[in-house]
Amino acid sequence: MGNAALRDIAVIEEVPFSEIEGVVAVDAHNWLYRYLTTTVKWTSSSKYTTADGTEVANLLGIVQGLPKFFENDVTPVMVFDGGPSELKEDEIESRREQRQTYEEQLETAREEGDEVAIAQLESRTQRLTPTIQETSRELLRLLDVPIVEAPAEGEAQAAHMVRRGDADYVGSEDYDALLFGSPYTLRQLTSKGDPELMDLEATLAHHDLTLEQLIDAAILIGTDFNEGISGIGPKTALSAISEHGDLWSVLEARGETLEYGDRVRALFREPNVTDEYEFETTLDPDIAAAREYVTEEWEVDADEVERGFERIEESVTQTGLDRWT
Amino acid sequence: MFKAIVSAETLTSALDSISVLVDECKIHLEEDGLEIRAVDPANVGMVDLSLDAAAFESYEADGGLIGVDLSRLEDIAGMAESGQLIQFELDEETRKLHIQIDGLEYTLALIDPDSIRQEPDIPELDLPAEVVLEGKDVNRSVTAADMVSDHIALGVDDGDESFYVDAEGDTDDVHLELTEADLIDLQAGPAHSLFSLDYLKDMNKAIPSNTEVTLHLGEEFPVKIYFGFAEGQGQVTYMLAPRIQSD
Repeated sequence: MGNAALRDIAVIEEVPFSEIEGVVAVDAHNWLYRYLTTTVKWTSSSKYTTADGTEVANLLGIVQGLPKFFENDVTPVMVFDGGPSELKEDEIESRREQRQTYEEQLETAREEGDEVAIAQLESRTQRLTPTIQETSRELLRLLDVPIVEAPAEGEAQAAHMVRRGDADYVGSEDYDALLFGSPYTLRQLTSKGDPELMDLEATLAHHDLTLEQLIDAAILIGTDFNEGISGIGPKTALSAISEHGDLWSVLEARGETLEYGDRVRALFREPNVTDEYEFETTLDPDIAAAREYVTEEWEVDADEVERGFERIEESVTQTGLDRWT
Repeated sequence: MFKAIVSAETLTSALDSISVLVDECKIHLEEDGLEIRAVDPANVGMVDLSLDAAAFESYEADGGLIGVDLSRLEDIAGMAESGQLIQFELDEETRKLHIQIDGLEYTLALIDPDSIRQEPDIPELDLPAEVVLEGKDVNRSVTAADMVSDHIALGVDDGDESFYVDAEGDTDDVHLELTEADLIDLQAGPAHSLFSLDYLKDMNKAIPSNTEVTLHLGEEFPVKIYFGFAEGQGQVTYMLAPRIQSD
């Protein structure tokens, strides 16, 4: 995604899951997308395809991904994207085109029986279909995992919730979370090891920047919403912003123009978010109903999800001693 | 500074009661004895152990803290024959523990205490029921429940003045009741809590069958299990968090 270059700028450290407490506002599309790509890479599609050919790898991903939150007493709140921002449409369009190319390549790979290529391409062609959108929400509801519907970017909404103090961290792989002002962002919530914590205040202090300047630097490098100035990487962007103060002065000094500068800035500074949300942090999952939904209604192979359900069940029935300290 | 001589039995009892919950622990080398407190990674079971200086043949310490790998230390203790003495001396400079069992010398590398999981706060529990029974009856209760289930309910019948154990399996059930006559002592109070047998079985392994065990119980509260070893000069308190009961 657009802002991998931000990794070089951000102050990031690994933290043990056991030290994370509270509520994580998870960028749901980002999280699901991660799961879809990894699930699909390692699991035969027959395990998550219904008799009529509908793929629901998302259900498998949710059951395998949630136990980690439950076991560590961290409450996930899944924040779903609303309609895309106007500017992002180009990007989505180009992703769609890219996907089409992948699908053609996949077709060829299948004809040639190239299994490595098939596995690689299958993971890239996953998308959030209406079925995935709908079944993900239903399964989360059965497991009593709170859902928040963002007016636009889920990530911006999640950052907003942390800033308001209703959540403790944003959960997203995307470095853009920083630009949306997320004070603490957890990355790699999906992998086996410990997550990474990205700290906004430490990042700003480290480079002696304001959030507005960080946004401007990112715009110069390029974001999900704009291409950036060619030849400007993280280092150049930072020193140029430090030297000239803001985006416009840098552009002027370099004799460059940026078409949507103002609008991209506004998207990060004043993103479309809502205060209209409500959720409980004590989760009471209906595991029997969730299991039936996944394995019977959507015909996912029971063996693939049994362990995940068991882990969730165990974590909600076994209390911890910290409840009494 | 730490220099001590202890019998293999006493050391093994102490180590075994900790190693059922954790692989590594911190040992406080206090002037009047050793103190160990640890909780398992899931925060379900806790142990609080003290071994008085009087339990040692000789003991000198001044309040240091060391970190040890328990299975390593258990292996070393296992090299001693029954009745043999084990000598310890801490080398402050190299941070190694010299261990001697007759002609056998072992130099044990210690673990940085800061790298070991933080010691838990001890929960403040006001538990209404107290049951004092023999170690062998605890063992019998756990073994009986384990035949049918993964979980065990421990309770006190307020009216009947008895302590009971319930285990419900998929097909078979177990109920065991110990009245005042079977128990060493009972202070009845409202108590019924469900526990994981995985934990209780491990804790039970560390309880000597001929020792007096005190259980403190409440309604959906952790159980506190207290017993002594090394002729009462060692004390172990386990705490185990309950499971939520579905009905």
